[in-house]
Amino acid sequence: MIGQIIQAVLLGGYYALTAAGLTFMLQVMRVINLAHGSLSIAFAYAVYTLAFRYHINPFLGLLMVLPVAAAVGWALQRLLLERAARGGELLPILSTFGLAIVLDNVMFQIFGANAKGLAQFLGDLSFAAYELPGKLYVGKLPVWILAAAVCVLGGLHLMLTRTGLGRRIRATAMDPVTAGLVGVDARQSAAIAAAIAMMMVAMSGVALGFRTVFDAYAGGPQLLFAFEATIIGGARSLWGVFVGAMVLAFAQTGAAMLHPQAFLLGGHVMFLVVLFARLALGQGSLGTRLRQVVRGA
Amino acid sequence: MTKTSKGANRMTLNRRQIMASGLALGTASLGAGRVLAADGDPIRIGFMSPRTGPLAGFGVTDGYVLDQVRAALKGGLTIGGKTYAVEILDRDTQSDPGLASQLAKDLINNGGIDMMLATSTPEVVNPASDACEAAGVPCLSTVVPWEAWYFGRGAKPGAPSPFKWTYHFSFGVDTFKKTYLSQWAQLETNKKVAVMYPNDADGNAIRAGLAPLLAAGGYTIVDPGPYETGTSDYSTQIAMFRDAGCEIFNTFPIPPDFAAFWQQAAQQGLHKQLKIVQVAKTGLFPGDIEALGSLGANIASADYWHRDFPYPSTATGIKAADLADGYEAATGMQWTQQLGATMALFDAGIEALKAASDPKGKAALAAAYAKLNVVTMVGKVDFTSGPVANVSVAPIIGSQWVKSESGKFTYDTVITENATDPNVPVTHKLLPYNA
Repeated sequence: MIGQIIQAVLLGGYYALTAAGLTFMLQVMRVINLAHGSLSIAFAYAVYTLAFRYHINPFLGLLMVLPVAAAVGWALQRLLLERAARGGELLPILSTFGLAIVLDNVMFQIFGANAKGLAQFLGDLSFAAYELPGKLYVGKLPVWILAAAVCVLGGLHLMLTRTGLGRRIRATAMDPVTAGLVGVDARQSAAIAAAIAMMMVAMSGVALGFRTVFDAYAGGPQLLFAFEATIIGGARSLWGVFVGAMVLAFAQTGAAMLHPQAFLLGGHVMFLVVLFARLALGQGSLGTRLRQVVRGA
Repeated sequence: MTKTSKGANRMTLNRRQIMASGLALGTASLGAGRVLAADGDPIRIGFMSPRTGPLAGFGVTDGYVLDQVRAALKGGLTIGGKTYAVEILDRDTQSDPGLASQLAKDLINNGGIDMMLATSTPEVVNPASDACEAAGVPCLSTVVPWEAWYFGRGAKPGAPSPFKWTYHFSFGVDTFKKTYLSQWAQLETNKKVAVMYPNDADGNAIRAGLAPLLAAGGYTIVDPGPYETGTSDYSTQIAMFRDAGCEIFNTFPIPPDFAAFWQQAAQQGLHKQLKIVQVAKTGLFPGDIEALGSLGANIASADYWHRDFPYPSTATGIKAADLADGYEAATGMQWTQQLGATMALFDAGIEALKAASDPKGKAALAAAYAKLNVVTMVGKVDFTSGPVANVSVAPIIGSQWVKSESGKFTYDTVITENATDPNVPVTHKLLPYNA
C-alpha cells in the first residue's frame, strides 16, 4: 500500500512535467497546443539521435536540445500561432492539430516503425533503485523526474512572480492589449513564453524516453495525459498543474488497485468528474463556464 | 547559314530518332504480346505483409526475401511440361486491417492474381484471407496463431471447416504450451508463474487458452487480470507478483507496454526474484530487446524460425544460415525470424502450384493445397493431418536472448529447446534471468 502511494506520487511527478508545457502555453497564449505530444516525441528523437549516433549521454543531449527547443517555441509562436490568431480564436488550435499530423508522419518517415528508448543509454541507472526500510524500492529515475518537475515548476513560479520578465508574461497572459498600452511588448513576451514552454516539452519527451519506448505516433497519449492533468488542475496556476497531475496519478493507481484494467479508465473518469463538477458549479452561462474551465480565468 | 542547316539537320535527325524509337517500342510491345500469348499468361501471386506502421518489425525483412524469390523464379516455373512466367505483386498493408482488406480486393479484382500469400499478424492475414474466401481465390498464410485465424474468422469448434479457398500454417496455443513446459522444466523453480496478458485479441485468447493448459502442467498461475494497452504504471501488478514470490514471468505485450513494465519491475526489485522471463509478441525481433538496454539480457522468447533450422528453402534453395548471413550482408541489419517464415510461405505456395493439375485453375490449386504435405524452411507444412481442415500446425522453438558472442550486434537469440520439432538442434541451455 505504502509502496503504491509512493509510486503514484512519482507517476504524478512525471505527469506534472508532461503537462507543464501545455498549461503554460494555455495560460499565456490561450492556445491548447494539440502538437504538444508530437513535439515532445520529436525532441525525444533528437536526444535519441545524439545518443545513438554520437554517443552523447542523454542528459547532456537534453542540455544541447533545450536551446533548439526554445528556438522552435519562439518560431512556433511567431510564425504559426500569432498569424493563425489573426484568423480567429479557433485557428491556432487547428494549426497545432495540423502540425501534429505533419510531425507524426515526418518522424515516421525518418525513424521508421521500430520503437526507440533512451533508457538503454543510461546503463544500469535505468533500473537503479533506492531501497527504503520495509523492503520498499523506489526507482532512481522516477525520483529524478519528480525532482525535475518540482524544480521546473518552482523555478518558473519564481520567475513569474519575482522578475520583470515574469510580470510582462503575466500581463500578456491577462490581457495582451492592455499590456501593450502600458508598454509591454506582448508579442515578444508571448514568444518568450512559448520558448520556455517548448523547453519543458523537450524535458517531458526525454522523461518519456527514460520511462518506456516511443515511436512516431506516441504523441497522442502524451497529449491526453497532459490535457487531463491540466484541466483537473484548473489551468489556473502552475501549482494547479502539479495538483492536477497528482490527482490523475492517484486516480489511475487507485483504480488499478480495484482492477488492473481500470488504470486508464480511472484517470478518464476523474477527468470527467472534475470537468462536469466545474461546469455544474460554475457561474454564468454554460459558454462562460466552459471558457472558465479551459482558460481557468 | 551552316549553323542553321546543322540545326535543321539535328532536328530532322531527332524527329527520325523519335519516330524510329516509337516504332521500335511498338514492335517490341507487339513482340512481347506474342511471346506471352505463346507461353500463356504468367502466374500472378499476390503477397501482403505489414512493411510500415506499428507492425513494420515483421515486414522489414520482406523486401530482401522477395528479391531472393524473384531471382530464383526469373526463368519461370515449369509445371506439367509448360513454362510459366511468375509475377509477384507485393503490397504493404501499412499495419491497417482496413487497408489490407482493400488491397486484397484490388489484387483479386484488378491484379488478376491466381494465388494470394499473406503473413504476419491477424491484422494482415485475416482480412486478406476473408477477401480470398469470398472471391474464390486460393490463399496461403502464416505467422498468426492458428486459432486466431480459424476461429477468429467464424469457424466453429467441432463443426466442419467453413473454408474452401484459404489455408494457414502457424503455431497455436498448444504449441506454446509444449514449448513453455519444455523450456521451464530446464530450471529449478517454485513453478509460480506471474502473467501479464493485455486486454486485446491475443491477450484474451492466451488467457482463455494457454493459462489453463499451463496450470494443468503443474504451474500456479498468478494473474492480476487484463490491463489496458497504454497503462503507464504497473506497481499494483508488480507488488502482487513480488508478494506471491513468483519465479517465472510470462507476457504477451506490445513493446512500449513491456518496456514500461519491465523497467518499473526492475526498479522495484522484481527482476531479482525471476528465474525465467518468457515473453511473446514483444521480443520476436532484436530491436525490441536492444531498446531495453542491459535489462534485455537473458530474456527468453520463442522462435518460429531460426538461422540454425535444418531445412533449406525449396523455392530458392537457400540454406537457413545463408539466408540470415545474406540479409545481414545486404542490409547491415541483424537477421530476424521473419526471414524464414516469409520464405517458407513462398516455399509452400510454389510447391502447391507445382502440385496443381492446372496452376492457373483456382479450383485445381485449392485442391492441391488440401493435399499439400511438404517440408519448407520452417519445417513441415501438412494440410492432410492438421487439428482442423485448412490448418497445419508449425513449430515454435524455445529460445533466449544472450549477449552476442560475435559482438557484431548487442544480443543474439539462441535455441534452448526443441519440443515441437526435434530436428532443430538445441545449442544452448536456458540461463536463469537473475543469475
